[in-house]
Amino acid sequence: MDATPAVRLDGVSKQFGDSYAVRDVNLDIEAGEFFSLLGPSGCGKTTSLRMIGGFTDPTAGSVLLAGEDVTDLPPNRRNVNTVFQSYALFDHLSVADNVAFGLRRKGVGKDEIGERVGEMLELVQLDGHALRKPGTLSGGQRQRVALARALVNRPAVLLLDEPLAALDLKLRRQMQVELKQIQREVGITFVFVTHDQDEALTMSDRLAVMSEGRVEQCGTPEDVYEHPASRFVASFMGTSNLVDGVYRDGKVVLEQGPALPVGRREGVGDGSSVSVSVRPEKIWLSDFEPGMSVLRGVIRETVYSGATTTYLIEVAPGVTLSALEQNTARARMEDRWNGGETVEFGWRPEHCLLLD
Amino acid sequence: MTSTRVTPAPAEPAERPGRSPAPRRRGRAERRPRILIAVTALFFALLYLPIGVVALYSFNAKKSLTVFGGFSLRWYRAFLHDDVLISSLGTSLKISLAAMAGSVLLGVALAIGLVRSRSRLGSLAGLIMLVPLITPEIVTGVASMLLFKGLGVTLSTGTVMLAEITFSVSYVTVILRSRVAALNPEVEEAAMDLGATRWQAVRLVTLPALLPAVLASAVLIFALVFDDFVLAYFTTGVDPQPLPVRIYSAIRFGVRPTVNAVGTLMLAGSVALIALALFIPRLFGRKGGLDILSGS
Repeated sequence: MDATPAVRLDGVSKQFGDSYAVRDVNLDIEAGEFFSLLGPSGCGKTTSLRMIGGFTDPTAGSVLLAGEDVTDLPPNRRNVNTVFQSYALFDHLSVADNVAFGLRRKGVGKDEIGERVGEMLELVQLDGHALRKPGTLSGGQRQRVALARALVNRPAVLLLDEPLAALDLKLRRQMQVELKQIQREVGITFVFVTHDQDEALTMSDRLAVMSEGRVEQCGTPEDVYEHPASRFVASFMGTSNLVDGVYRDGKVVLEQGPALPVGRREGVGDGSSVSVSVRPEKIWLSDFEPGMSVLRGVIRETVYSGATTTYLIEVAPGVTLSALEQNTARARMEDRWNGGETVEFGWRPEHCLLLD
Repeated sequence: MTSTRVTPAPAEPAERPGRSPAPRRRGRAERRPRILIAVTALFFALLYLPIGVVALYSFNAKKSLTVFGGFSLRWYRAFLHDDVLISSLGTSLKISLAAMAGSVLLGVALAIGLVRSRSRLGSLAGLIMLVPLITPEIVTGVASMLLFKGLGVTLSTGTVMLAEITFSVSYVTVILRSRVAALNPEVEEAAMDLGATRWQAVRLVTLPALLPAVLASAVLIFALVFDDFVLAYFTTGVDPQPLPVRIYSAIRFGVRPTVNAVGTLMLAGSVALIALALFIPRLFGRKGGLDILSGS
């Protein structure tokens, strides 16, 4: 892309004593994008966000906003706003005064403040609560105040630090949809920190998966899910069957048991140890196509979970793969496999990934 | 992976047959030992009876300190016409206000600094700060006097103020520290995120959040300093003297019932202030003004 990225992290690191919270992160976030930083706790995603916001100083590298180096600027001089995980509302001020806080700091005129605060409260469906104190609102409402308080300043980038983590599941799903709608409506770049991979997959235009302070992979949700670049990404994003073996002539030989045909790969030497990853939903249990790798195994367990059924198939002693079948309208209960039965299963070669 | 098959929940245990009576009310069977009541009553009597006597005799129509001769406000009137006592009252009010302002200003800043500082020097300062609370006041008094004398400073109302501020800062800091520690640091960051400078963030967000505790500690300091005797005695000049010191000097030349009236007024004022200090946090609809006093 040729446009200047809204946010660029250029070789950014944050070191606490001997340990790195963030290590040599390079990221370009495009203007207008919904971008997620995804990873388990302690992976450095919040620290990265805080460095964009100016709350944490990087120990190396630089932070650029719209091409301008802001590494040494304090938070109040960066054109970004943050929705904090704790919401961090000002409890002594009314909802309207909370939302107006940023505009007052900028010296915006009184009439304009009233207008913009009113519009914003409408956008987050809090009109009618303007005069209430945050302490009297529900969790979801407080979340909206935090969002309105940040968005009203029309920042170039909005940073969101796990803003939905404190909400219950149902409210969270609802807010996911609303957040995405609001983002489309205002067209502001969102940088969204989350540890919830479903949330990241459904909301993001692009996402970066982080682990131990590094970016493991960055791409569209489909990219990252379908073509995980590492063992970590494969196992963190959804469920994956990960099997270790040795690559030899287009096959991966398991320690005990069969060789899995994976096709010839460039750049993988014979005899190197690799991991094979196959998503459970990519495994076929019948109606194979020509060119598929078909193997045999024994059903060890059948787990029915409503819309899907998961089979655990043992292919070698101690090596089981899970396969997921949709319980669609055409599937019949009596067609399901039972424990102890021997089955054939297979996958398209492109769905079998080789990871180092 | 484990099977998700649902096993039927074990049946609820059948309700117990109705032979067990309603649960016994706790403490009902316990006899309150009378001796404890007596000891408690004696304690309060010894504590408050002398004060009660002072209050009662402040309304005495006679000059006697032992015989009550009918109700009168004559000693209150005498106090109002006693220029020396009135000027002492003014001095005490000035000292208390100065000590209140000075110690609250320093104490709030110190509390914020101690909580935010993560250095070893910070925690050391936090410990040193507690020392005045346990040092016998007479030691502080004598030490302050020797310091002022050593520096060649003439003792005056100003030296009392300085000594009282020094002494009171610890109280303010102890009260405010727990409140500052309970603040969410993200709130100050949010203010800066919204364009506030560091100082604006403290002024617009942190201080309002601390306001109930600040007011409560201010009232407490006022009350403590107003009737402080020991420190004032060692650090005051000859004239004007703070009220407690003046009363003490007056008593040495024989007790006049006016002293009863002054004492009663001071008592009433102190009680009112302490009550205010306890009430202020409730006024703001949140907890944690004077946790130490309210015991919560």
